[in-house]
Amino acid sequence: MAADTSKPFFPAAPHSALLPSRSAASRSTPEGSYWRAFRSSELVSGAEFPITDLTFAPAAASGAKPTLAAAWSTSVHLFSGDPLKSLRRISVAGDLAFSPSFRCDGALLAAGDKKGVVRVFRSDKASAGALRTLRAHAAETRVVRYPVAGGDKLHLLTAGDDALLAYWDVPSETPVFTVPAAHRDYIRGGAASPADPNIFATGSYDRSVKLWDARTGNTGPSLSFLHGELVESVLFLPSGGLLATAGGNVVKIWDVIGGGRLLHSVESHVKTVMALTLGKMAGTGEMRLLSAGIDGYVKSFDFGKLKIMHSLRHPQPLLSVACSPCGSVLVAGSAKGKIYMGKRKKKAVDEEEGRKAVSGEIDWVSPEPEKPVLRPNYFRYFLRGQNEKAKEGDFVIEKPKKVKCAEHDKLLRKFRHKDALVSALVKNNPRSAVAVMEELVARRKLVMCLGNLDMEELGLLVEFLCRNATLPRYARFLLGVANKVVEMREEDIRSDEKLRVHIRNLKRMVAEEIQIQHTLQGIQGMISPMLALAAR
Amino acid sequence: MITGGQSYVSAPPAFSADGRLLLVCSGRSVSVFSTATAMLVSELEAHEGDVTAVVVVPPPAQAAAAAKLASYCWTAGLDGALIYWDFVAAEVVRKVQVGLPVHSMVVPNICRSSKGAEVPTPFAFVSVEDRSKPVNDEKLLRGQIRIYDLTKGRQVGCPLAETRKPEKIVASSSGEFLGITNRRKLHIWSIPTKDFKPEKIRKIKLRHTKNLTTLAFHPSERTVAAGDATGRILIWRCFGNAKFSESSARSKVDDGRDGVRGNDDADTCTTWHWHSSRVRFLNFSSDGAYLFSGGLEGVIVVWQLDTGKRRFKPRLGSPLLFFVDSPDSSISCVSCTNNQVYLLKMPNMEVMRSIAGIKLPIASSTMGGSDRAVYGFDYTNRLVAIPTEDYCVQFYNLFENTEVSELQVCERNFQPVDDITMHISLVSLSIDGKLMCTVDIKLPEEELGGLVTLKFWNHGSSAGHYLLSTIIYEPHSDAGVSAVAFRPGRNMAVSSSFGGNFKVWVQRLSSQSSDKTYYSGWRCQSVGSYKNKPMTSAAFSADGSVLAVAAESVITLWDPDNNALVGVIAETLSPITNLSFIGTSGFLMSLCQSSRPQLAVWNVSNLSMQWSYSIYAEAACCSPDGSDFAVLALLNCPDGGTSTEQDGAILLFDAESPNPVASWSVKKARGGSVSFVKGDLSLDADASSRDSEAMFLVYVNCSHEYVIFDPRKSEELGVSKNTHKKIQAEEPAPIGYASIYGELPKVESKKEVTDVPFIPSDRPWETIFSGSSHVLPPLTKLCSAFLSSLLEKRPVANE
Repeated sequence: MAADTSKPFFPAAPHSALLPSRSAASRSTPEGSYWRAFRSSELVSGAEFPITDLTFAPAAASGAKPTLAAAWSTSVHLFSGDPLKSLRRISVAGDLAFSPSFRCDGALLAAGDKKGVVRVFRSDKASAGALRTLRAHAAETRVVRYPVAGGDKLHLLTAGDDALLAYWDVPSETPVFTVPAAHRDYIRGGAASPADPNIFATGSYDRSVKLWDARTGNTGPSLSFLHGELVESVLFLPSGGLLATAGGNVVKIWDVIGGGRLLHSVESHVKTVMALTLGKMAGTGEMRLLSAGIDGYVKSFDFGKLKIMHSLRHPQPLLSVACSPCGSVLVAGSAKGKIYMGKRKKKAVDEEEGRKAVSGEIDWVSPEPEKPVLRPNYFRYFLRGQNEKAKEGDFVIEKPKKVKCAEHDKLLRKFRHKDALVSALVKNNPRSAVAVMEELVARRKLVMCLGNLDMEELGLLVEFLCRNATLPRYARFLLGVANKVVEMREEDIRSDEKLRVHIRNLKRMVAEEIQIQHTLQGIQGMISPMLALAAR
Repeated sequence: MITGGQSYVSAPPAFSADGRLLLVCSGRSVSVFSTATAMLVSELEAHEGDVTAVVVVPPPAQAAAAAKLASYCWTAGLDGALIYWDFVAAEVVRKVQVGLPVHSMVVPNICRSSKGAEVPTPFAFVSVEDRSKPVNDEKLLRGQIRIYDLTKGRQVGCPLAETRKPEKIVASSSGEFLGITNRRKLHIWSIPTKDFKPEKIRKIKLRHTKNLTTLAFHPSERTVAAGDATGRILIWRCFGNAKFSESSARSKVDDGRDGVRGNDDADTCTTWHWHSSRVRFLNFSSDGAYLFSGGLEGVIVVWQLDTGKRRFKPRLGSPLLFFVDSPDSSISCVSCTNNQVYLLKMPNMEVMRSIAGIKLPIASSTMGGSDRAVYGFDYTNRLVAIPTEDYCVQFYNLFENTEVSELQVCERNFQPVDDITMHISLVSLSIDGKLMCTVDIKLPEEELGGLVTLKFWNHGSSAGHYLLSTIIYEPHSDAGVSAVAFRPGRNMAVSSSFGGNFKVWVQRLSSQSSDKTYYSGWRCQSVGSYKNKPMTSAAFSADGSVLAVAAESVITLWDPDNNALVGVIAETLSPITNLSFIGTSGFLMSLCQSSRPQLAVWNVSNLSMQWSYSIYAEAACCSPDGSDFAVLALLNCPDGGTSTEQDGAILLFDAESPNPVASWSVKKARGGSVSFVKGDLSLDADASSRDSEAMFLVYVNCSHEYVIFDPRKSEELGVSKNTHKKIQAEEPAPIGYASIYGELPKVESKKEVTDVPFIPSDRPWETIFSGSSHVLPPLTKLCSAFLSSLLEKRPVANE
């Protein structure tokens, strides 16, 4: 039988509206703690060449095949296994390599170079040399993309700084079609749709983004819209209906099914955003759009809530970012040749198991860790259900809210009046001490309390009176109390040296106050005739 | 004429049999409330004195089927009548005259066997006051308990008992036992419920050392609990084993009759003590596991009967009077002294609804000398604002006779046992009801910590709802506020203090958007004083251009905008306590209430006295327009002071002439008040066409009962208030078992199954035993059918 909530409860406290509100302590979101769990380390360092591209092999790839490819200087750097081990470099004809791309089964790897030649390697035997060499571009090919959806293993999309777009039939080394002057400037961003193997998007330095359909590609882009800044990267979101483009320090999200409508624009980076990738949260399976910028931040953006969830800071400007298909490894390549690797520690086992268990599944779906059946010999058994959240339609019975009471309030409720007064005095908050005294007056107990205080507590009280008795806010009440104390406890005060000092202080304060009042009255006396004259 | 403000807590209420209605004694009528909504359903009006008891009885047996819907009750009143009601239809069925004022009544369900069948025949046990004996002699036995046969309407047998004053009778739920408390004794009668004869009633006494105040019987066991004046609760178990049991051969073995005094007829007597003062009610729960008790503390204590463990339902806000359980014990109601009846949802004792009457005046007279009752009247919305004991202001709608709202003024928890250290000394409302001002005073302890607080409130969303705008601590340093008046049509107020000055407060417009104006807090605009005399009253003229402030016995007139003294009117005999302008006429009325009382009317235009009387006026009010004013005058000098219920008279004057226009005599005038309120045009349609400014006069007496009448008509209006009550439509709701578990599916009777074997057939003996064994009717039934089927039917000879 809790206290009746229909009647309000008034603790003996100063008015709540008058108290300053305490700012809520910054709480960490579960999202933040997730991303903070990535232990950052340096995968490669030393060279001064920028890491322009990073890509992970699709999840279907298995065995000794490489899982990560980095475009680095004149070669493509391959890594494999868990933890990532450096395999070897594939030298790309002595010139800068760009944009490695794995085929959907992870067996082949394509990469462009500065001269515009695109080479296709076997990813497990890359050192054996290029299987196919595709020559059509006249300048560096920064965009080389295998189709993602539909298991298309034959075609390849390339685009480069010569503004040429080519769609290749790889086995025959001939382009299915080429679009010269697809953009009016360098093409730097490209992405394959995860929903349709024929759909591609390109972004260029002419500030526009174009959507291409391989079936009708040679007749021109099927959709084109303006990003507004130099587009560095484009990325389809998992549904294939939304497209994220990065240009300048803005990431924009477009609805491509709805004809290129701008859905949202995120301006969270300080400097240019260089790369976009999708990250999967291992715990919940939710997808986040990760963007890396020159300012060294990797920002995690929830495109469901359209909200920045977390930022990871790196010491060097970032050019590329990639996240492993099951979301356990996050790599970011810097402009100074370092690859930062973030890794969730305990999830490593899960990843390994997951790969073994489900290998033929669709990309980006990490296997659900099997929940162990809870038994009473396990501690979590006794905690089960405690973190359960109410669902939409659930009827929630709230725990009755506990009325928070200060210590003096608790004592007042137990009618321990003197203790309440002492506890308020010890707290050294004049407002609550005066509130307690007023409450004691209302209970007709203050005089008795003053009489019952022992020497130490009396010292506290007299010290409190010294400090506050002449404050105008409390003076009318506290001077009365001081008078009463002196009157009632005269002998005690005389007998104690400390108390005498306090009383002397109090006397001095009162004398000062009287002096001030006299002065004020003098001023009032001077002013009032003038006011009377002015009123006439 | 409309009356209202009756007490709902003068007698214990009663639930109807289904628990959907609550019958509450309210003055001379019985109000029937719905427990689901706490709204008034109907009123039973036939008594000529106050109703003191209401008993819901099962319907008579002869009207079995129709009576399922109807509900019947007996009521008893101080007019000496017992009335049998159909309270759903609000009709009087029968009336039995007792002739003496009835103070308590119980109707145990007694059956009388007539011709083999048991017919319930109601007998009433009434506690009456014998008026033939003089009042002043305490020793005389003025109370009697009599038995009335309600079917025949006459007294049966001789009086059961005679007591010094009429006692409250308590019956056990089975009707087997009756009991009263008679000073230090408990009288218990055993009633033969089967075959009732007055001679067969047997009686025991149980003794205690303190005056007993209340008792209760256990629903199933032979246990009685009684509370005494010191707060103890005594529980006698197995009382009357020797005397009441049929075989009175119980050997008197005194094997530890704990706590039982003398040779009282009980096994054990247990004492519990929690209450610090007299126990006001005791009640066993219907299953007999718990005992509820309550008293001055405003706490219901729930005792577990077997262990004596306590649980509490605290903070009901006022001393408790009665506790009644509904028949299905899902609801109970508790009556508090502040005229509230709380409906409690039973297992967890949560307050579901409250039936709120007008709150009673603050009882204690030790309120720092100012024992003047304060009322605020809202002229436009026809509300009265009453400061209550628990630091609230209750707004009560005078025409509807319902509580509108309650406003917590002081932030303090109220405990009924504490002595008063804080009270609301003044409530003032502007004439349009848009602004309110309250003054509350914290009384000092040995001159420490006294505080006067002035609070301004702004009008909320509806009538009677106010929002706190400004708190001003110590508005006139430590001097008390004597009066607050609002300037009509402006956001300006004046407060006058005994400390010798008055302050004019204004509310500044802070911002004005398209649809709403926002006001900031109130600020003091100017301060005025006159020869340092205490300012005892203040008033604005009807157009707001003149402010009159009474400086003790001098009336000063001020210009409120410039704070300039305009004029001074000559002195009265003694300090003025009430000052007001009489409507739009140029007259001013002043009241002096000290030893030299005076009622004076002043002409403002030539600053002279028009006329004056030397009568003691308790209150006065002026109509906001016109030149009428009403004065509540006490008939004899207030210095006697002994009897609080003084009679008085309301005099209606026109300012021009000293001859009263009309006068009415009233009771309980001391502490009362009068006010004009705006007429309710919907009340009588013909009045609205005649004069649109119909005005009514309200008189509230010291126990907060009130009457509203039209002062201009001498004859009584006779407006029946029932026609205008919002009668709550009742919707059928499941009760008891059905309310918890839902309707039971109709059990298909086995008749259809049993009918199967009796299908007429040529050779029934072949089919009669067919079918599975569990659907077969009992063999005793089958046998006769089987035998008759074997017998050959003889053709009827008549054919």
